[in-house]
Amino acid sequence: MDTLEKRLAMLARKGDTSAFAEIVELYKDKIFHLAYRMLSNRHEAEDVVQDTFLRVYRNLDRYDENQKFSTWIYRIGTNLCIDRLRKRKPSYSLDAEMNDQEGVDGYSMIPSDDRTPETYLLVSETQRMIHEAIDSLPAKYKSVMVLRYLQDMSLQEISDVLNMPVTTIKTRVHRGREFLRKKLERKI
Amino acid sequence: MDCKQAVSLMHNLLDDDLERSCALDLKEHMLACPACRERFRQLEETEQLLYGFNHRLQPTTDELTERIMSVIPKPKKQSAMFKWVRRHPAITVAAVFVLVMMTSALSMWNADKQLLVKGQQLDGVVIQDNKVIVPNGKVVKGDLTIHNGLAEVYGEVEGNVTVVDGKVYQASTAHITGSVQQIDEAMSWIWYQISSLFPGNATAP
Ligand SMILES: [Zn+2]
Repeated sequence: MDTLEKRLAMLARKGDTSAFAEIVELYKDKIFHLAYRMLSNRHEAEDVVQDTFLRVYRNLDRYDENQKFSTWIYRIGTNLCIDRLRKRKPSYSLDAEMNDQEGVDGYSMIPSDDRTPETYLLVSETQRMIHEAIDSLPAKYKSVMVLRYLQDMSLQEISDVLNMPVTTIKTRVHRGREFLRKKLERKI
Repeated sequence: MDCKQAVSLMHNLLDDDLERSCALDLKEHMLACPACRERFRQLEETEQLLYGFNHRLQPTTDELTERIMSVIPKPKKQSAMFKWVRRHPAITVAAVFVLVMMTSALSMWNADKQLLVKGQQLDGVVIQDNKVIVPNGKVVKGDLTIHNGLAEVYGEVEGNVTVVDGKVYQASTAHITGSVQQIDEAMSWIWYQISSLFPGNATAP
């Protein structure tokens, strides 16, 4: 399944723009969904999609064919999202609650006026609560939880994308799950 | 088994990563511990909610694809010049021409080791020692060419960035609409000189 992307990547590397356009078609929605789940902002998510493809294009020469193409592009996209989350003003901190051995990072919560019409499509109270619970996760847990539950990746795949040991991913899934359990307590 | 251990095993179970014997121990603990039974129920429910959270996002627009395709740099046509040379019988003329170019370009390359910055509009650019900095938030219109220095791009460059005998550092905030080239050696410099005589025909290998 990955061989199509690899072939397209090789063609794009040689300067075939239409091959690159096909890669964009294959991945733009996937990366958009990832970015939207991470950032909860349509405009920012679209910017991340554009930056991801620009980076992919510039680094085609460095793409290692032994690696799955999807792992590579998800890594670029996820890192761009994490960068953006870290640059946001820390209006909400969970570090006291969720410290782990790797130190302090990750803030979330965006001002409510930043929200896009997408949020209005959350018809039920439950959907809105889940959306807000995910949105309030600190960056390092959010990336793991979004990849695990909303992109359906295995722990091993997440470990490949984030370039971290599986044990770290497991710890983060456990903490993220506990965090969400507390957030959703009223619903469950 | 205490409750803390039990919770840890619950998570492993939800990860599909728990040995049968451990699962039986956990079951035994939960049968005797209402608090852990409730905890596990909540964790399972949370999982179900997350997996079922399929609120449909609107798909991306074709406009976005166009935007992406318009910002990617123009494709390289590396072999164009070689083909041109091969196809033309006047190959000796070309060879002599390249030889002359090499001599003059080499002397130019050796001539200056000082920092040199070229560009159409440089007011946004900060120069510190041998560093040329495009600060975050600043926009440089047009190409930026730097000799013997380090380019640090945090802001935007609406054109190509070329660094001869130096390095380019791009921050994650950097946005360069054109191509980025680092030319480190005399040969590349000659190639760059030649290719700039044939705009659109060749770029540095
Ligand atoms: Zn217990």
